[in-house]
Amino acid sequence: MSSSTISPPAAMEHSFDRLVERARPSKTDINFVIMDYLINEGYPSAAQKFAKEANIQPFADGEAIQERVDISSAIRSGDIQLAIERINELNPQLLDTDPHLHFSLLRLQLIELIRPIVSAPGPPSPTAFEPALEFATTQLAPRAPTSPAFLQDLERTMALLIFPPEKLTSQLKELLDLGLRQKIATTVNEAILHSQGERREARIRNLVRLRAWAEDKARQSDKDLNLPDKIELGLGSESPNNGAQDGDAMVA
Amino acid sequence: MSSRAGPVQDVIERLPPAGVDEELRPLPSRWSESDKCSGLEVLLDGTEVRFQGVIKTSDEAAAVRSDHPMPRECGIYYFEVTILSKGKDPTLIGIGFSGPKVNLNRLPGWESESWAYHGDDGFSFACTASGKHYGPKFSTMDVIGCGVNFRTNTAFFTKNGNYLGEAFHSIKTEKLFPSVGMKKPGEHLRVNFGQTPFVYDIDSMMEVRSSDSDIENHYAGAFTDLFLQQERARIGAEIDRSTRRSKKEETALIQELVAQYLAHDGYVETARAFAQEVRDQRRQLGDDDALEAMDPAEDIHAINRQKIRTAILNGDIDRALKYLKSFYPHVLESDRNRDIYFKLRCRKFIEMMRRCNDLQTGASSQAMTDSTTSITSNGHTETKDDEADAGVFDHQMELDDQVQRESHAPSLEPVSIPPPLSTFDSPAPSDDPAESEAMDTTPDPAPTQPQPQPQPQDTKSSAMRHKQLLDKAIAYGQELQAEFSGDARSNYRKVLQDAFALLAYTDARGSVVGGLMEGRGRVEIAEEVNGAVMQSLGKPPSAAIEKCVAQTEVLLDMVQANGGEAALVDLRVYLR
Repeated sequence: MSSSTISPPAAMEHSFDRLVERARPSKTDINFVIMDYLINEGYPSAAQKFAKEANIQPFADGEAIQERVDISSAIRSGDIQLAIERINELNPQLLDTDPHLHFSLLRLQLIELIRPIVSAPGPPSPTAFEPALEFATTQLAPRAPTSPAFLQDLERTMALLIFPPEKLTSQLKELLDLGLRQKIATTVNEAILHSQGERREARIRNLVRLRAWAEDKARQSDKDLNLPDKIELGLGSESPNNGAQDGDAMVA
Repeated sequence: MSSRAGPVQDVIERLPPAGVDEELRPLPSRWSESDKCSGLEVLLDGTEVRFQGVIKTSDEAAAVRSDHPMPRECGIYYFEVTILSKGKDPTLIGIGFSGPKVNLNRLPGWESESWAYHGDDGFSFACTASGKHYGPKFSTMDVIGCGVNFRTNTAFFTKNGNYLGEAFHSIKTEKLFPSVGMKKPGEHLRVNFGQTPFVYDIDSMMEVRSSDSDIENHYAGAFTDLFLQQERARIGAEIDRSTRRSKKEETALIQELVAQYLAHDGYVETARAFAQEVRDQRRQLGDDDALEAMDPAEDIHAINRQKIRTAILNGDIDRALKYLKSFYPHVLESDRNRDIYFKLRCRKFIEMMRRCNDLQTGASSQAMTDSTTSITSNGHTETKDDEADAGVFDHQMELDDQVQRESHAPSLEPVSIPPPLSTFDSPAPSDDPAESEAMDTTPDPAPTQPQPQPQPQDTKSSAMRHKQLLDKAIAYGQELQAEFSGDARSNYRKVLQDAFALLAYTDARGSVVGGLMEGRGRVEIAEEVNGAVMQSLGKPPSAAIEKCVAQTEVLLDMVQANGGEAALVDLRVYLR
């Protein structure tokens, strides 16, 4: 393997690279994909600057982006109550028609009530959990019987109250990971977009996956397509160690 | 309690379908907002319906029909309904189809000219209030499909993708609409008229297709398109699922792709704004890996390229040429880039003609805005534009100095330049703090003394000015002609001719060559210039995201040569 990584002389450059060189994607397409991403995932200031700098139409009104950004931002900073209020202002039916989404928000709200107590040093006082317990009984417990998944999620969350923080299983630790906030924020953003008749995900995500998929298919092909061992994008993060990150872990 | 449709409905009935060829009638696409019982709410562009009303007697209900009837000519028609309501069992919902005049205060199936499958007992009802054993009961989250075979005049249902067998026969009614009815408050249904993939594999049923009817083939073709669409959606979903990256890794990769593209292509301010927004997001998540990598490097070249781009996008070609000459003198001298040089020069002529034209036709920059973007300009644009007219032509000689002044003086008076095509409430580039900040780091091209700027001459009459602008444009055109018409390159002469043709029209914008004046041309040339500068700097001419698209294209080509499902993947869909 190691001997094959020596770069070939320029004259013998991979025919694949030459084909890629020749396929010149249009700037209009790329700019469209970038704008789509900035709007979909909520980067209003960048979207505004990009519309100006690239001289393209923003094709979405700033207010609509801002509403989603405010909601995502509230979730990321742990203010779930505010997020739920904002969602209801934006679309009163959204949470009613998506019980899973509603439940996952309420559960995150419960986790946010628990987080400061378990992350504080020393053993928590017995009364510290009262607000969390009350929230669980009034908000989550009535919903739990409607789905086995809800019940399991609630049980797991309540376990946070019982186990001392240093003895949490990795599954329980995940609940306290701030990454969960991002995950829920993403789900909410997608649900709002969908309810507005937009695509759930930015095209660039599908594009990145399509590239990895096409590479896999090409490598699985019987024909000798003479692909380079590693197809690079030329990004700083692409080092020999995390090549798998680039979706080309299928090298036989 | 059979219904009589009122006279109004009769009139509507007799109208031909508006604007639709009789032979190619539209398929049902949504629940009707008008052809429904009053207690029903039609939601989400007609894809959902919810019952909020009250039922007084046990034989009353609330029903709705689709916007268009199922065209008999299509052979087989199929749609699916998902029960969303959280209502307690049994669900009192009927799913089926009915004629246009069937009473909507009853469940479909109970009345004549209506047929349906009911969820509370699983019975099928054919134009009568007494049902027959047919299939299982259905309730929350079940997906019920209804298919009508117009060749055999039969109908069938599916539940969660399983075929339940023939339900009705001898269906002869001419106009039949998909219809649902419900009895309990809170009942809530979603319909799929083919907009998204069906749960049931209708594909296999459609395979038997008669070839003796063109019309049927047309609809079959429409269905085939629909299935292709569904198939594409299925493969798209499969591709999405195939990813080995976690969402977090993917997000990081995409943020890097976007940031690198913005920096690579010199969208300096966008890159800054994006980096800031990503930083804010990560900070909220307690991710304090300061993200220095996300910061666009204070790259002098990026700023230079941004200036050149902005000048071109503003239609200020002279300024762009000046910048190019002082920052990258070799780029335009290179024989390889002669095309770009030629296009820039032609663009300048087009911009001169644009100003003449707009002055003549009384159009302000508003016209330019209209032709390129839908953003409306604010009230100041017109005056700014007038000054800009004067600016471009009266101060041409001072441009050298302007460029140089910019590199000296951190604070400037606003420079007269044409307003951007799309303003997006942005200040003129020279007012921009980022720009003046950038100026401090701009290399000194060729120092001379700043000169005071003459005031625009407001007194000059419009006609006089038009004459003057036109004379200047003609003089410039002659210059162009002299410089390039002898060029052996095949297309130069043609390009020149097209540009000069602008002179022939009073309102050139509306003419056959009017397209030349559109903003698109600015964008194209701006990108070409940027690419040429990148190349001269020895940088990869394309950014990672462009490589990603190019690689995908090549890989897809390779895979598609093998046939199979990959042939259904269309990269275009991912790009627009």
